[in-house]
Amino acid sequence: MIAESKKTPAARYGMSIDVDRCNGCGSCMVACAVENNIPPATAGATDRTGLTWIRVFRIDNGAEGAERRSAFVPVLCQHCGKDAPCVSVCPQQAVDVDPATGIVGQMPERCLGCRYCMAACPYHARYFNWWDPAWPAGMEKTLNPDVSPRMRGVVEKCNFCHGRWHAAKTKAVANGKTEIDPADYIPACVEACPSGAIHFGNLNDAATETAQGARLPNSFRMLESLGTDPKIYYQSKKNWVREISSAPRPAVGKEKARG
Amino acid sequence: MKNSRRDIFKFAGGAVAGALFTPAPWRLITDAALWSENWPGIPRPARGEIRARFTNCALCPAGCAVRARCVGEQPVSLAGVRGGLCPFGLTAHHLPYHPARLKQGPIEEASAAVAKRAADGIAVLDLNPGRTVSWTYRRAMALLKGRYLAPESQAVAYDLSAAKTVLSIGAPLLDGWGTPANVIAARRNFRLIQAEAVESRTAVLADEWIPLAPGTERAFAQQILGALQGGRPSVLASELAGNGPSLVIGDAPEIPEINRLLGAWGKIVVAPQEAPVPDSWTRSAAAITLLADVPDHSIHVLLIDESAAASYIPWHRIQPKLANENPLVVTFAATRGGYARHAKYALPIAVYPELTDDIAPAVDSIHPTFRISVPLVTPPAGLANPAEFVGALAGATASNALRERADEIHKAGLGTVLTYADAKETPVKELTPDAFWKALTEGGEWTQKGARRILSQAPGKSIDPAVRPETAIDLPLIAIREPGNPALVSPLMTKLYQESNLRLAPNRVALHPDDARAANLTNGARAILQTRAGKCSVEVTVDPAVPPGAVLVGSSPGIQDVCAPGVRAKVVSA
Repeated sequence: MIAESKKTPAARYGMSIDVDRCNGCGSCMVACAVENNIPPATAGATDRTGLTWIRVFRIDNGAEGAERRSAFVPVLCQHCGKDAPCVSVCPQQAVDVDPATGIVGQMPERCLGCRYCMAACPYHARYFNWWDPAWPAGMEKTLNPDVSPRMRGVVEKCNFCHGRWHAAKTKAVANGKTEIDPADYIPACVEACPSGAIHFGNLNDAATETAQGARLPNSFRMLESLGTDPKIYYQSKKNWVREISSAPRPAVGKEKARG
Repeated sequence: MKNSRRDIFKFAGGAVAGALFTPAPWRLITDAALWSENWPGIPRPARGEIRARFTNCALCPAGCAVRARCVGEQPVSLAGVRGGLCPFGLTAHHLPYHPARLKQGPIEEASAAVAKRAADGIAVLDLNPGRTVSWTYRRAMALLKGRYLAPESQAVAYDLSAAKTVLSIGAPLLDGWGTPANVIAARRNFRLIQAEAVESRTAVLADEWIPLAPGTERAFAQQILGALQGGRPSVLASELAGNGPSLVIGDAPEIPEINRLLGAWGKIVVAPQEAPVPDSWTRSAAAITLLADVPDHSIHVLLIDESAAASYIPWHRIQPKLANENPLVVTFAATRGGYARHAKYALPIAVYPELTDDIAPAVDSIHPTFRISVPLVTPPAGLANPAEFVGALAGATASNALRERADEIHKAGLGTVLTYADAKETPVKELTPDAFWKALTEGGEWTQKGARRILSQAPGKSIDPAVRPETAIDLPLIAIREPGNPALVSPLMTKLYQESNLRLAPNRVALHPDDARAANLTNGARAILQTRAGKCSVEVTVDPAVPPGAVLVGSSPGIQDVCAPGVRAKVVSA
């Protein structure tokens, strides 16, 4: 992969998510689970022990009664560009940033389940396999052949549907090209979004809708002040929505949870 | 030098301690992790040739076009052809393997029992009217002198693309109301005002949300109607009249009259269209009877078709129509969770995507269309075919009905067929009947654009001017139904119901923290939901987004059996 990056200019894949178009239907969440062979919840799973590589949070402006207003914010691995906290803390080198794509990858085969990366991730976008992966009888036939199911005891997270990247790369090579066709590489959540709220593309290519979205004046990134250079850009015309980018910590949610 | 036993122990201890500072133990840990990754309990995905197949989703009348990624013959993922799919549609390829699926039933015994008593007074309740199988039911009921029952007649269709302002009174416009691709495409051209008690998914994306007090939706509609009729002025009514063409949608009976006064009738509200039907069918079909119009205690044998059910009628509305003595209820169902709880015979049926069925027109379908849900998976043996079951009772054959309908459409020679594999639109008159049928069975869609029937007048439905909310003080909450699909859902929907709180699970109710505190209920607690119609067991979600004095209820059949729009309810600890 590093050798390839010498031949072709490095891509910097990212997303732009229009919060004002997300109606919280959850299509992205289930499409991600289908694509990446994430099993259904076991009986004891909760919102803090479940596996959702992309999770749509409902946030509100803090007002009460008729003044209360909500928005839906899809949160996934933000694919930090530099000094990704999960990379530096991993004792197993199970996390890396691919220089050819900018994608933060997770290698479950190397992961020993210490969960340092989960503690280090400021976005809570990493999930631990508390249970053996299990599907109802017969449903394992519907698993995606391009993605291996993970074992209990390892951490996993969004990898921008790396199986699709490989398929697109293979197709490009078969056609004698060095660069993949952007139409061949679209993550499952982007493809599934009925309202077209999520765009995906190479942020280094100014012509992509993603790069243009990232430059909009109402665009923001989560916890930008941490200096992690995330590659997920959000947009909203509402001031109170944009303020979540600098919120020190949410009042409720996984912070309050132990484990 | 002589080594003592102590020296050997010291050497061994030192070696062990020293080994800890070498890469060896870490290597062992890594290897153990690698080994555990290949644990034999982890399922291995099947491999094979990957190809795309096309069908139409039969889960609701939207009938979204679907591209299935298949490994061999097995679909492994579904995606929308014209935009994304809803989460129910995206995971529909899991439904054949659902643990709660009904797979066996006494089909022959049920057939004999129905045949024996059919002359007493038989009826078919079709929960997804407008399909080809609906015509089979109607023809069979005409022969058996029975009744064909539908939940409600779809009197109108809506052309959202013609609207400049849309007022939705509690309708889930952006969350499963019509065809997602049509609604999303039209959305950028109209101003959306959502009036309802909770800030729903539609309200979140509306240009304006008008929070109503729970249970006052009808009074709100009456207020607008009054203003339009020259009564007390209303800012909203003036906006609707001034920023037209405007459309109002919702369940209130005043809405057709409001739309007529706004001038939407004939422009945005048009007549629903149906694909051509053979004359022999229309001549010999029983009339459509609404369930509410059936005399009480007049049905001795009731057959319920729950396949691809677009709606659920609470059992307390069906039960009074059944004969007092020993009524026979047979349901064609995918699970035991729906009417099977009340039926003598629950017969298993094919589920989408095993199903071969056409899709009834959606509420925003203004042109005649014909689409077939082509099976992607072979259904298991031993399932009942509702059309053949009912057809056999009347001595009619139903197995070829879809082909007969397609031939009738082809005979008319109008419209075009769109095939998704090549995104090509071909006029029907350029195709042979066999080529037309082939296109349809490969997931194609026939449409007759431009064929638009204008409604001349609003239906003469009488409007009861009085609003009479239930006033029971012992039931302090107003029930508000969360939109959702009541039928079988994929186990993967736990991502939305359990592993996050994005959607209210079908068996749950949500309460404001103050109401939950008053009832001594906590998040996740088991509780009993009580209404005048009965009670059922539920789980509680505490959610500050629910207005005080209301209970947001899930869409499970058990909850729907005891709830109706705006009914009063009480939630008590189980």
